[in-house]
Amino acid sequence: MAERIVVDPITRIEGHLRIEVEVANGKVTNAWSSSTLFRGLEIILKGRDPRDAWLFTQRACGVCTYVHGLASVRCVDDAVGVTVPDNARLIRNLLMGAQFLHDHIVHFYHLHALDWVDVVSALQADPVKASKIANDVSPAPKSGPSDFKAVQARLKKFVDSGQLGLFANGYWGHPAYKLPPEVNLIAAAHYLEALRQQARTARMHAVFGAKNPHLQSLVVGGVTCAADLNPDRVSEFLYLWKETMDFVNNVYIPDLLAVAGFYKDWGSIGGTTNFLAYGEFPQSAKEPESLFFPRGAIFKRNLGKVDAVDPAKITEHVKHSWYEGDGALNPAQGETKPMFTKLDTADRYSWMKAPRYNGEPMEVGPLARVLVAYGKGHEPTKKAVDGVLKHLGIPVEALFSTLGRTAARAIETKIIGEAMEGWIMQLVENLKKGDTKTFEPYEMPESAQGMGLNDVPRGALGHWIEIKGKKIANYQLVVPSTWNLGPRCAANKPGPVEEALIGTPVADPKRPVEILRTVHSFDPCIACGVHVIDPQSNQVYKFKVV
Amino acid sequence: MAPQKILVLGVGNVLLKDEGLGVHLVRRLEAAYDFSENVRLMDGGTLGLRLLDPIAQADHVIVIDAVQRGADPGTVQKMSADDLSKKVTFKNSIHQLDLVETLAYAEVLGQRPTCVIVGMEPLDIEPWGITLTPPVAANMKELEVLVLEEIQKAGGSWRLKAHAPQPFGEATDYVFGDSCGNHRD
Repeated sequence: MAERIVVDPITRIEGHLRIEVEVANGKVTNAWSSSTLFRGLEIILKGRDPRDAWLFTQRACGVCTYVHGLASVRCVDDAVGVTVPDNARLIRNLLMGAQFLHDHIVHFYHLHALDWVDVVSALQADPVKASKIANDVSPAPKSGPSDFKAVQARLKKFVDSGQLGLFANGYWGHPAYKLPPEVNLIAAAHYLEALRQQARTARMHAVFGAKNPHLQSLVVGGVTCAADLNPDRVSEFLYLWKETMDFVNNVYIPDLLAVAGFYKDWGSIGGTTNFLAYGEFPQSAKEPESLFFPRGAIFKRNLGKVDAVDPAKITEHVKHSWYEGDGALNPAQGETKPMFTKLDTADRYSWMKAPRYNGEPMEVGPLARVLVAYGKGHEPTKKAVDGVLKHLGIPVEALFSTLGRTAARAIETKIIGEAMEGWIMQLVENLKKGDTKTFEPYEMPESAQGMGLNDVPRGALGHWIEIKGKKIANYQLVVPSTWNLGPRCAANKPGPVEEALIGTPVADPKRPVEILRTVHSFDPCIACGVHVIDPQSNQVYKFKVV
Repeated sequence: MAPQKILVLGVGNVLLKDEGLGVHLVRRLEAAYDFSENVRLMDGGTLGLRLLDPIAQADHVIVIDAVQRGADPGTVQKMSADDLSKKVTFKNSIHQLDLVETLAYAEVLGQRPTCVIVGMEPLDIEPWGITLTPPVAANMKELEVLVLEEIQKAGGSWRLKAHAPQPFGEATDYVFGDSCGNHRD
């Protein structure tokens, strides 16, 4: 008999994602993804000055704040018809690149790693052996036997005190954990090291954005950080970038490869069917032609055919969401009319709408970007993907999975990071020529429409604006998490995470670490606690997850 | 007794032409030589006070930097840290916090290592450029030899790598490698 499991809230930073699954014979047979928080930014923005929109929208989140600011200024840039100067484009790209580096390091280590790494098992490790393994794969510093011994001693103190702190109440000892104790110890040491590194990486935003989170240097028509385009500040950015890339090359990538090697079975679990990437990092004013990561759509996993993206084919469905009506609208004409709240998986069960492209659910994010780039023959992506597949000895089909999604995130971190070097040098070249322009003036039109399509760490992000009487008449955000974690549409097609969960093995419903693996691979950016409900006994199992 | 810990610290801003010569040289040493365990190379860039920790952990520091004393551009210079006074325009005050101050902090902490400074008179330290000027590039080999001597004097040793890259030529661009230095503490 099928058993229902509810994981609510599921993620590790912000709450409000609820996953309900049906399990039969040790596998997930059906899944429902609910967002239990109402956003409402669209309503707040109505009647405001379009120039202020970005400051409001970047408050959509406390983690990836800049991405909403950028989507918004690009959307209003489009509406008022301004082309930003080259330096502004480069600075915006560099800040976006910094966002990717920061976000993906945090995701891999602090939001996802403990789904694969058993920190308690690390106590059994031999530090000398761990040091040898670490030194065989990477020249990373702090990997001598004494370093690992010190980390182990710190972990042991945590465990012996009975206060695991941030590692409390994990599913330690669960049979789904496959790493040897030494690899667990290396990963645990790097978990701690990554805490330090992410704080430094975040400083890149401070150089040209004044602060992180919620940067201050954007403006419709360009950027405002003109005074920071001096050798001291550019060099500071360069050094923070170098330090981060050192970590990516010597720690993140080797860890990804080491951990993935033990979980190759996850190369056939957690996959979806269709993929959408808006593309990112414009290399000139021409879009989408000049985008570093290309724009495209892939259907039925056919990497041989990448379709061009027509924004007119984007719709948002509300039939299973807590909004008025049951139709589907293009975001340019979108509505946000909250109406219901009763959670019923057979009817309406989420504050998220269900975005569809040409009527189909589309996975967005690192895997979608990497697949679209790979399918289009993007050289750096092809090289990196083929290298990883070869290293792990897995076929290209294994990318359509939880493992593929996690690997794609690391792959694009390296590709974007390496591209940033060129953008820094282009900025230097411009400044050398005496080109210090960072802003292009424009006139606010009486009425206009605009669209800003970005690809951000979690996936395809679009903002749409309609201006009337120089004020915001309508504003819609279609964010990556709605693409990935949204509910069923009017045609009852499940959203990507709902689809991905079907077939996921669950060894022990009381400790559903496998569900966490697939859901976390989408980087849902929420959570800290898990509740599991057993509908037979109506018992609620509560777990705090780290 | 364990050999003393030697830190070879290249500092400067690579975006200001000759100002980055110390960084250029440290990158060259990383690429061309294997050093004994007690030698640590570091691209210190413009990290300023963040260099305090690696400096305080060393017994002896060899700083490589541009030194402006009014000599002919490309003149190789050597001095002890004690010779430094504010009269020497160390780094031309471009860094947000200069090395002299960082050494002073190390002293206050009671962890100041012995220190020698080697470098060259720069020709051009104006923005922007990642390439050394010809008189400085021409003497990089001489500076490299001097640094290696200093390492040996302090108790370190080295071996030329089997596939060491060519020594500096005239047009020396800053190179970004896979390894970006070891400045994580």
